[in-house]
Amino acid sequence: MKNAMSANPYRPWPARITSIIDLTAKEKLFEFRLIDSAIREGFRHTAGQFVELSLFGIGEAPISISSAPSKQGFIELCVRASGSVTGALHRMKCGDIVGLRGPFGRGFPFEEMRGHDVLLVAGGLGIAPLKSLINHIHDERHDFGKVTIAYGSRTPADIMFLDQFKMWQHRQDFDLHLLVSQPDDEWTGEVGYVTQCFEGLRVNPLRTYGAIVGPPVMYKSVIEEMRKKGISYDMIYMSFERQMKCGMGKCGHCAVGHQYICVDGPVFNYWEAKNIQGAI
Amino acid sequence: MLFRVIDKTELPELLNGFLVAHQVIGPVDKGDHFEFAPVTAADELALDYTLTTLPPKKYLLPPRETLLSFGTTHAEDIEVVCEVTPRVIFGVHACDINAINRLDAVFLGDEFPDPYYRARREATLVVGISCTPFAECLCGLWGTGEVHSGYDLFLFDLGEVYLVSIYSVEGANILEATCHPRPATPAEVLDFEICSKRFHDSFAALPDTAELPMLMDVLHKDATWDELGERCLSCTACSVSCPTCYCFDLIDLTDPDGCGGRRQRVWDSCNSPGFAVVAGGHNFRDSGRNRVRHRFYHKLLSFRAKYGDMLCVGCGRCVRSCKADINPRTVIERLYRDRDRWLTEQGSGATGAEAAAAPAIKAEAAPATPPASVAEQGSGA
Ligand SMILES: Cc1cc2nc3c(=O)[nH]c(=O)nc-3n(C[C@H](O)[C@H](O)[C@H](O)COP(=O)(O)OP(=O)(O)OC[C@H]3O[C@@H](n4cnc5c(N)ncnc54)[C@H](O)[C@@H]3O)c2cc1C
Ligand code: FES
Repeated sequence: MKNAMSANPYRPWPARITSIIDLTAKEKLFEFRLIDSAIREGFRHTAGQFVELSLFGIGEAPISISSAPSKQGFIELCVRASGSVTGALHRMKCGDIVGLRGPFGRGFPFEEMRGHDVLLVAGGLGIAPLKSLINHIHDERHDFGKVTIAYGSRTPADIMFLDQFKMWQHRQDFDLHLLVSQPDDEWTGEVGYVTQCFEGLRVNPLRTYGAIVGPPVMYKSVIEEMRKKGISYDMIYMSFERQMKCGMGKCGHCAVGHQYICVDGPVFNYWEAKNIQGAI
Repeated sequence: MLFRVIDKTELPELLNGFLVAHQVIGPVDKGDHFEFAPVTAADELALDYTLTTLPPKKYLLPPRETLLSFGTTHAEDIEVVCEVTPRVIFGVHACDINAINRLDAVFLGDEFPDPYYRARREATLVVGISCTPFAECLCGLWGTGEVHSGYDLFLFDLGEVYLVSIYSVEGANILEATCHPRPATPAEVLDFEICSKRFHDSFAALPDTAELPMLMDVLHKDATWDELGERCLSCTACSVSCPTCYCFDLIDLTDPDGCGGRRQRVWDSCNSPGFAVVAGGHNFRDSGRNRVRHRFYHKLLSFRAKYGDMLCVGCGRCVRSCKADINPRTVIERLYRDRDRWLTEQGSGATGAEAAAAPAIKAEAAPATPPASVAEQGSGA
């Protein structure tokens, strides 16, 4: 898509909504298919990258791609209704047309991670970009060592992709922790914050990559746990969210310190993040 | 690059040469201020102007421009809109040309060249003119009072004649078609040298800024930022009038009939309070302190890290436009003052008395780099 678009990176490409799944009260999973076949076939992304979603006449919003790079032809976005663009998207139906441009940014270093153990931690909506990575690892499972996933939600009703998690839970080769901090009467799973599953967790720091996506408050404590396990600064990856308009390092909205989150990130390793004044 | 001389009396013809195929924009005297505006004859130009209220960036990055239009029956029928007028901006000072070069780095280079900016830039010729520094000028801080690229012709005023630096073939063609350019005489070369020297000498009292990027980092938590942040009105006059500020917003407008619409790019400013708000309402720069600091951090440190230059050309417009007296000069003077205060408090190589007595601008007795303890206090306090 980038090559085809390079003539005008501001131009959104029409995409049809092919499926909508209600996840929670506020989040829905949308599947899109780019209408132009050349653009569709040229679209390649890595987990952690995002697109600018356009609703014509309303505006744009940066949204992480939650489908795995291995799933081609469709683009999946998991969207929380939180304002004008995302709210209007929630009111749309299958067959409606939106605009997409991208993919933008630097995602997780999948190729570097290959051959290693991975420790993936998501909080809240952070599961959206991480799902892309999890699915990619799932599709190429034989290339990875131990895979540990911790996903924390506030209440059981906030859990997204529960079905998928239930499916993974049966697999021997996924060490899965699903936690809620405010359980209801029916909840029989783990209770607490994601940091809790680090207790007793055996990590080989020399061969483990960490990845964290979630609300800003989560980063400090999870990084601390990963550092306690001895994982190197530059093997702990995290994704940042800022206000974004262009996605191309120009409009200035996402600037933090000397970096533009949209082009230099949104995924950074902890060593890079430490060097960005004001990032964490 | 060639240097030739023309008589000042040839200026109207030179201008006519440009008018054949271009809209000509030049500095115009509006009574209480100067402004870059369209002109049709040489006598409308005020080439001895000091400073225009707005820089020429408005002709390359308009305050509001339509990027795309959406169809009326099918919104996804997108049309790319890019209207370009062939122009020459005539009579631009070196600082403003340096600013255009900064914008070029952002909008023409990188992974995502900007097609709108590129179309305008390629249809725009620039004719520079030498200037006489005035009170607000700060180009001496970074040497941006001189320019070596980014223009087609540059006219150095030597009294009766202009010494013309010819950069582009388009400039050369028009110059030769309309004037009688000739090589400079030895006397004219001497005149040029004298003028240059006078120009440089006029900046003798400006602060030394060699350590500034490092100080910006070390003094990140300095109280100066609280004080400046309190004073900032968030009016954004600084970034509107700044020739290098390029932040923008993208907005959608729907036509009154509710069908088609447009996506526009409008100037924005990192000093406006909502600039870094994200969904959920969290504001990453929720105080004047954080916004003012971010703006100067970008200008004096982070732009340089990415593009190699300061994002300030010392034009002095913000010195005039800021009602709260926040500009590179006040920032630099305060940072050096606070640096000196710290060196004193930390008992560095310089004795307390020496450091305290050192002028806020240049403290040669003090070490170039504060000791590590100072740096730690700076980022951790
Ligand atoms: C890299 C990246 C990836 C993302 N991935 C996802 C994802 O996968 N799923 C998802 O749901 N979201 C994601 N987001 C967040 C998403 O981009 C925002 O929710 C979205 O931009 C909101 O747009 P909107 O038009 O719906 O809301 P808006 O109408 O823009 O408003 C959203 C909220 O932001 C505030 N706000 C915005 N602009 C201003 C302003 N100028 N002044 C004051 N307040 C303002 C308001 O308080 C408002 O409540 C991501 C963001 C980034 C940067
Ligand atoms: S979103 Fe515009 S610079 Fe990053």
